[in-house]
Amino acid sequence: MPGLKFLPLVLKYLVRHRGRSLLSLGGVATAMFLFCSVQAMQQGVREATVRNANDTKLVVYRQDRYCPFTSNLPQNYEARIAKIPGVKSVVPVKVAVSNCRTGLDVVTFRGIPSDSFDLGSFSHAQITDGSVESWKRRSDAALLGERVAARRGLKVGDRAEIGGITIYVAGIMRSPEPQDQNVGYTHLDFIQRAGDNRAGIVTQFNVTVTDPGQLEATAKAIDDEFRTAQEPTTTWSEKNFVARATSDILEIITFARWLGWGCVVGVFALVFNAIVLSVQDRIKDHAIMQTLGYTNGLVARLIIAESMMISLAGGFLGVLAGVGVMSWGSFSLSVEGLSINIHAGWATVLFGLFLSAVTGILAGLVPAWQASRREIAACFRAV
Amino acid sequence: MTDEALVTNRNSDTPSTDRTDVFLAITVTALCANLWRFFMAYIECRNLTRTYTKASTTITPLDGLDLDIEEGSFVALMGPSGSGKTTLLNLIAGIDSPTSGSLMMGAVDVGKLSRSKLALWRSVNIGYIFQLYNLVPVLTAYENVELPLLLRNLSAKDRHKKVAAALELVGIDDRHDHFPRQLSGGQEQRVAIARAIVTDPKIIVADEPTGDLDRASAAEILSLLQQINVELGRTLIMVTHDPKTTKYAGRILHLDKGRLLELESSTASAPGIHP
Ligand SMILES: Nc1ncnc2c1ncn2[C@@H]1O[C@H](COP(=O)(O)OP(=O)(O)OP(=O)(O)O)[C@@H](O)[C@H]1O
Ligand SMILES: [Mg+2]
Repeated sequence: MPGLKFLPLVLKYLVRHRGRSLLSLGGVATAMFLFCSVQAMQQGVREATVRNANDTKLVVYRQDRYCPFTSNLPQNYEARIAKIPGVKSVVPVKVAVSNCRTGLDVVTFRGIPSDSFDLGSFSHAQITDGSVESWKRRSDAALLGERVAARRGLKVGDRAEIGGITIYVAGIMRSPEPQDQNVGYTHLDFIQRAGDNRAGIVTQFNVTVTDPGQLEATAKAIDDEFRTAQEPTTTWSEKNFVARATSDILEIITFARWLGWGCVVGVFALVFNAIVLSVQDRIKDHAIMQTLGYTNGLVARLIIAESMMISLAGGFLGVLAGVGVMSWGSFSLSVEGLSINIHAGWATVLFGLFLSAVTGILAGLVPAWQASRREIAACFRAV
Repeated sequence: MTDEALVTNRNSDTPSTDRTDVFLAITVTALCANLWRFFMAYIECRNLTRTYTKASTTITPLDGLDLDIEEGSFVALMGPSGSGKTTLLNLIAGIDSPTSGSLMMGAVDVGKLSRSKLALWRSVNIGYIFQLYNLVPVLTAYENVELPLLLRNLSAKDRHKKVAAALELVGIDDRHDHFPRQLSGGQEQRVAIARAIVTDPKIIVADEPTGDLDRASAAEILSLLQQINVELGRTLIMVTHDPKTTKYAGRILHLDKGRLLELESSTASAPGIHP
């Protein structure tokens, strides 16, 4: 790249056609905003569905049922599951969803026995406000995931009606686990009464195993235990469970990846067009510079620098807006009580900026090459 | 050719000769020959030819031209339109390359330099003044003059000194911040002259530098060029259509259909520098 002392020169050419530069910038920003949003969704999908070697969570569901409203298991399975070797903890969970559609603002309630709530089974969770004690004291209390609280603007002490269930906010919970971010933990009997009023029935059991390597074996052992029971079970690793339940939406999100790359192609076309036009306007200026002793290579690099700057500036705005909206909105895509948290972090920012810069450089290559190949003397005659 | 040789071909210290050292003797002889040639003729065109071919037609604006120009001279180049004046000027300035023949500038065969070497050579040796000024419109007068200096390894402060000196010399140091569109033709040409001399080039070429100016501004520009020739000792080659302007030049060449006709020598230029 050319030295810093040439920067003012490059900037002057950028502001020369202010309108055109701003339009290009806006276009690039919009495209990169979209790209970032798609990236954030992809990131959410990865976090929610890709298993890693340390996963220790299993979900026990009613066999052949795929939705929280039809998966009904007797609560007393809890004791039998707890006895299976390799099981560290079992929590019976009754799931209720504020809204049974797929949306960006669905809240999932998980009713769990108040005595079994222990932060140990929420390995990385921490209570940022309020306390588990105050949650235990009130029967209508809820511990809200940080995302729900941020999105709904709820704080400790608030009462809120979400999907026909009125809860008292007893605490806010921060957790790196995707499925703990978009939920409200309530007392099991509270949600059993609030929902279809069936005591003793739960939706699923959340199981933690002692050894991540024994995840599959433990799952099999649980299903074997209930094979002949009236309500047989199917046990999944949590990530697989989410991937299965959200498979329709995953298809859409996977397709959206092409949309994201389409945006990048759009950025290329925009910047390319802007640079071609602007280089055509100053064939003579480049001839003057070369007459003064600028090498054709330097002229080419100045053009590429200009192209990169448009793209990077637009990309910066777009990425910033994208990450801003994603963080501020705390959106989660919910399906059947499970969440894909749309998440834009530093990786998205850096990748977006890197991609804008590279696209800008690529878009500048051809115009730069053309400009540097022109015969100097002929340029003065042509204009 | 090394970059250093491009930048300077004047070798000021003469090594002491040792009679027993044949190699050294040869070196000194070669050096002297170079110096001699350097003083005799700085620009040496031999059988210089430039042709343009488009489709089936071939145009030959320069046809086997022989020309020597001494360092420090002020040469006026005249001739009818289309006679190849600009073509010759462009070859000398190194922004065009001959089709055949040789073009020696000092010890450098300019016709044989690669494109990037030629650019480096231009940045050191050539100042070009155009009829239509050709200032960069997005840059101020100051920035236009600074433009060729950005190629040098100079601090911003040193650049500033040189630009200020050049603008003062051409007499428009009060218009630093003005853009070309805010200047009159005569002022624009002054800025262009400042840009041409700011790097201290050996040779300044001017293609009808007063062609677009009124009589008074033209006279001012011509005296300025003459001053640069006399006081700074720069070699000046100027294309002109106006016979009156030739009184500033020491030597007048006439080009016709790509061939050269020497007309006369005037005495306007500095004595002793030109023949
Ligand atoms: N790139 C080119 N392609 C084809 N022909 C060219 C090209 N450049 C110059 N010529 C031709 O070469 C001839 C000499 O042109 P040149 O510009 O050197 O003339 P000139 O003496 O400077 O004329 P003027 O006084 O009008 O400026 C002209 O006939 C011109 O048409
Ligand atoms: Mg001409």
